[in-house]
Amino acid sequence: MASLSLKNVCKVYPNGFVAVKDFNLEIADQEFIIFVGPSGCGKSTTLRMIAGLEEISSGELWIGDKMVNDVEPKDRDIAMVFQNYALYPHMTVYDNMAFGLKLRKVPKADIDKAVHEAAKILDIEHLLDRKPKALSGGQRQRVAMGRAIVRSPKVFLMDEPLSNLDAKLRVQMRVEISKLHQRLQTTIIYVTHDQTEAMTLGTRIVVLKDGIIQQVDTPQNLYNSPNNIFVAGFIGSPQMNLIDAEVVQNGSSVTLKLSDTVSIPLPAEKSKAIIDGGYVGKTVVAGIRPEDIKDDEEFVAKHSNTTFEAQVKVYELLGAEANLHYDIADVTCTAKVSPRTTARPGDTIKFAMDVSRLHVFDKETEQIITH
Amino acid sequence: MISNQILQTTVEGLKAISRIDFCVIDSDGKISAKTFEDVQDCIADALAFMDSPAESQVINGYQFFKVYDEQNLEYILLAKGTSDDVYMLGKLAAFQIQNLLVAYKERFDKDNFIKNLLLDNLLRVDMYTRAEKLHIETDVKRVVYIIETKHEKDTNALETMRTLFAGKVRDFITAVDEKSIILVKEVKGNETYEELDKTAQVIIDMLNTEAMSSAHVAYGTIVSDIREVSRSYKEAKMALDVGKIFYSNKNVVAYSRLGIGRLIYQLPIPLCQMFIKEIFGGKSPDDFDDETLSTINKFFENSLNVSETSRQLYIHRNTLVYRLDKLQKSTGLDLRVFDDAITFKIALMVVKYMKYMESKDTF
Repeated sequence: MASLSLKNVCKVYPNGFVAVKDFNLEIADQEFIIFVGPSGCGKSTTLRMIAGLEEISSGELWIGDKMVNDVEPKDRDIAMVFQNYALYPHMTVYDNMAFGLKLRKVPKADIDKAVHEAAKILDIEHLLDRKPKALSGGQRQRVAMGRAIVRSPKVFLMDEPLSNLDAKLRVQMRVEISKLHQRLQTTIIYVTHDQTEAMTLGTRIVVLKDGIIQQVDTPQNLYNSPNNIFVAGFIGSPQMNLIDAEVVQNGSSVTLKLSDTVSIPLPAEKSKAIIDGGYVGKTVVAGIRPEDIKDDEEFVAKHSNTTFEAQVKVYELLGAEANLHYDIADVTCTAKVSPRTTARPGDTIKFAMDVSRLHVFDKETEQIITH
Repeated sequence: MISNQILQTTVEGLKAISRIDFCVIDSDGKISAKTFEDVQDCIADALAFMDSPAESQVINGYQFFKVYDEQNLEYILLAKGTSDDVYMLGKLAAFQIQNLLVAYKERFDKDNFIKNLLLDNLLRVDMYTRAEKLHIETDVKRVVYIIETKHEKDTNALETMRTLFAGKVRDFITAVDEKSIILVKEVKGNETYEELDKTAQVIIDMLNTEAMSSAHVAYGTIVSDIREVSRSYKEAKMALDVGKIFYSNKNVVAYSRLGIGRLIYQLPIPLCQMFIKEIFGGKSPDDFDDETLSTINKFFENSLNVSETSRQLYIHRNTLVYRLDKLQKSTGLDLRVFDDAITFKIALMVVKYMKYMESKDTF
């Protein structure tokens, strides 16, 4: 178990490609931290730098109280689980788990103890004599995890370990990994491009784009208070509706004109932030999550000053909820509504939005103005 | 010759099954493996048995057996006990060791054959006859991977590779130098390049996680006859080189996807020098400061889009335009114009190639 500290870490490849830029992060002992972002954002490169598989171009990496920039991967006391795992087909589960330790010339008795302990944690003791071909997908994944656990590392590094599994198994393994973190009580750094995985597993999430940290926060804070348009759009599914809006001032209050027919008055606090920021008369970006726009009578009555009419283009029933897609000023928007809605494609219906949940972003810098 | 460790494992295994003690003595009278301690007393008897024409003998409570390799005496096997059961088990053990010798030799021969095949050291007629003798099919599809680890002689990486492919008798792991590991892999009928890429990713991830070695993997094209294996190897070697020069951020490089790097890699150095002189005059791109170089790279990454580049560089649009104007003044190339941009891009790649070749010559 250990804390980690990344100070101004950069990765520039010899061909000039900047993969990670000025990465600063403190990871507490026993934390489950997630690196999330689109492909090419530098999340795997950062993980590989922590592992020692990529050299750090500049900056410092500390594991515990030791700077490890020049320490070999095998001496960093870490273990990794990567996406493209393979089990040695001719070896039993026991031998598969023991192989890494044998390579490191760990005494037989210690290997035996480590393998049995890891197997117990993963609940695969009964499978130790089996060969990989006799295992299910989930069991194989657990063996792959077991290979990392037997090393009893200070830090676990996982790079999209579930991305090769089918959807059902993925959900199952997600729960298993969460349980594993509770049992092992160790630091885990987990890379994924799947924001559902990020939201459900992490104690904190690091959102990355173009090698730069966009925001580091708890899943809830990321969802409720995104720092910029990228985070707002990346976290949440369906993604946040982001619409250009003209700022119109009426005395001390502000109205956002989303289109010729849709204008939304803002509450006093949000109005003040926009006026103080000098955005009156300018174009900003309004962001609202699909679940904060509804069509049911009760909601519309409660938010009567933010109603607008739009024609439903697509209706998607997801069981417990339904998504309605419609346009506001040529931008396709989504509303997550009750499955009992009667709205169907072609219908023009009245929506309302919970303006207290509306976010306003600077159009140029893409940074938040007010939540 | 089989290693003593393998012999020791074998006699220990046989003892675990039969509860009979064994000892293996080589033709020089040295003990190669044993499961009991007081062996020294039997050495003289073993040497005498070597000279006798008998195939087996009972001397002083031990059964002695001869183990041959193509009519040459290689080992004497001792089995402790004089009963018929011990005799039978001794015969079985001698047979087992003899088969180990055959298997080891075959493996050694196969390894030698593959090495010579990769290095083009075989006459075509020899290639087919030796392949037939070694039971290696000649007309199956194969591809060659080269795995280069950060450190030379990375035994953990080699061991991981051997173990990973141990179950696949039609794939061969070998090495022709200390820097890299070579995998000659059979390609199944419907296997695509996408799947070859996946195999390369598995190799990388396994070496990372198990051997904790960072590695680069390159592979050639699929060949359908054994005589073309060396071509796939040469292609993989070239892919590895081209990857180092132009695609240093990639861990897996396929010969079939080298892009423009493939063309530049094959240019003669004098031609490159002439081209660079033509573009940059007496200047070298090294003379550009880091800021200018990162601006150029970002501008290319963003497909010559001024707004997006300035946004990603956190600079004002006008600052970027100023930098591009400055570059135009010093080189005569306006990167906002497609023709100039492509000339500049190629020139930068050519410079990288020249530097790499220079560093190679230095070593």
